[in-house]
Amino acid sequence: MIEITKITKTYSNGTTKNEVLKGIDLQIADGDFTVILGASGSGKTTFLNCLSGLERVDDGSIKYDDVDITELSDTALTKFRKDNIGFIFQQYYLLPNMTVEKNVRMGADLAGNQEYRAIIKAVGLEEKAKKYPSELSGGEQQRVSVARALAKKPKVLFLDEPTGALDEETGRQVLDYICKLHKERGFTIVMVTHNQNIAEMANTVVKMNSGRIAVIYTNSTQKTAYEIGW
Amino acid sequence: MIIGLKDTVKLFGISIIACCAVFVCTLFLNYNIDLVAIENEITTEAGVAMYNAQVSMGKVTAVVTGGCLVATSIIMLLFYVKNFIDTHGKELGILKAIGYSNIKIAKHFWVFGFSVLVGCALGVVIAFLYLPNFYEVQNAEGLFPDFDVQFHPLLAFLIVGAPTIVFTAISVLFAYFKLKNPVLNLLREKREYKTKIGKNDKKDLPFLKGLSSTTLKSKKTLVFFVAFSAFCFSAMVQMSLSMNEIASETFAWMILLIGLILAFITLFLSLTSVVKGNTKTIAMMRVFGYEDNICSRAILGAYRPISYIGFAIGTVYQYVLLKLVMTFVFVDIDNMPEYNFDFKALVITLIAFVITYELIMYLYSLNIKKLSVKSIMLE
Repeated sequence: MIEITKITKTYSNGTTKNEVLKGIDLQIADGDFTVILGASGSGKTTFLNCLSGLERVDDGSIKYDDVDITELSDTALTKFRKDNIGFIFQQYYLLPNMTVEKNVRMGADLAGNQEYRAIIKAVGLEEKAKKYPSELSGGEQQRVSVARALAKKPKVLFLDEPTGALDEETGRQVLDYICKLHKERGFTIVMVTHNQNIAEMANTVVKMNSGRIAVIYTNSTQKTAYEIGW
Repeated sequence: MIIGLKDTVKLFGISIIACCAVFVCTLFLNYNIDLVAIENEITTEAGVAMYNAQVSMGKVTAVVTGGCLVATSIIMLLFYVKNFIDTHGKELGILKAIGYSNIKIAKHFWVFGFSVLVGCALGVVIAFLYLPNFYEVQNAEGLFPDFDVQFHPLLAFLIVGAPTIVFTAISVLFAYFKLKNPVLNLLREKREYKTKIGKNDKKDLPFLKGLSSTTLKSKKTLVFFVAFSAFCFSAMVQMSLSMNEIASETFAWMILLIGLILAFITLFLSLTSVVKGNTKTIAMMRVFGYEDNICSRAILGAYRPISYIGFAIGTVYQYVLLKLVMTFVFVDIDNMPEYNFDFKALVITLIAFVITYELIMYLYSLNIKKLSVKSIMLE
């Protein structure tokens, strides 16, 4: 269970202050698939960064079961991310001078996971394990990023606009892989997107507006990546 | 203007190397020219022997030191030009996209030659300030008649004007060659990574070992500079400690100073480039939960064996050079002691090197800790 209580975050730029998160409360159950929706500037990415321990909040608490990550030191927070968190970003952030296999091992070695080849196979890139990211299409690169994140066996997977840089067909494929693996492995997913249709795949949908949660609702039935609009 | 003077300030490493090279060459070549001019006035047997030794020594020092430093400056210049094109791909790509030809853009890289001009000019000025003292030291035994420092315009042109012209031409031509990269590759700042499967890719190396190996292979120039830095430290410090019986104290201090300047400048530039070139990798590793010291070890630790290899080569080099000088150059000089390997100098230099190198590595690992993950990802 992730329990978020009254978190706030303000960015200062000289004399200008921008309050990005204005006291957010939320609970995310283990194994849940939560989508955070919102327009550009609504604070959804900052919320995701704070939630995953990439950024510090100004106030409030973020508890993973009994661990309040807002109170952890930098070293402890790094260890927490190592043991619990996986990331998938819109821009992939693959290591350009390392092969697909080595990129996936970046995640796998952290968790002592020897089965990284099975994950590469699961995302359909077995044939391209020795290729470099520049030799892959955008969709294939995002699948490497998915494999890298899952290879470290995360308890919570954070995704920031994972299909933002992909065309419709490739975007559906990537989401389908993620959902399939989510069902198989049961980790928690927190995904940020501005695409309303993707929200139909989630259990819980959180709509953000100007740094606050506007609406939270649950879907009684979840659609697959091929059933949603785009 | 594509390249501003601000960009050339970053080339201070080349300026310093050029300055050292020109300083040494000016000292010995200017002295040689003035000494040769009074050759007929040297009549004593000891004077003739010393004359021959000093003329040969001057030639050897100018060729070995100057040549070594010129080669290093060229490599450093090419590295800077490539690095500039890699990091300014978008601006250069846009210029190419709107119709500027490669040669028209490449012409602007003449500015890089300016750093050589500054370094060489500074080297000549410092050398001329020191030359009167150098002449006194060289003729401390009074074997030659007194002679004054003369200015030789042709020598000044050859060690200032000519390198500036050559280095400027190299910058423009190399930039022209690198700008042949397709427009879209420049715009996307797409670097050329090897696409052939290397030995390490075939091997089932763990990620961190693979990263260390890739870090070394992706920028071979930096490997050279790290090795060169250790080489300079080892060779020059040992030389300055070992030569107290064959040269003046001033000369030993000069060698020591030049060695330390070169070692620190090249190590500073190389490690800064290593950290800058790997910021995204380090950021992503930290996002995934790799600890700071593991990131530092994987990126910077890869250069440790290289630096010790550079140190070993420097040790052999200084011994062979001094032995050759003593065997062939000072062969006719009376009362010259036999030169043997100086183990004491090696131990002192090695301890100083280990402490200095590890301290610098530690400072750079602190630098890595300060990198902001978010700002790197927002770039």
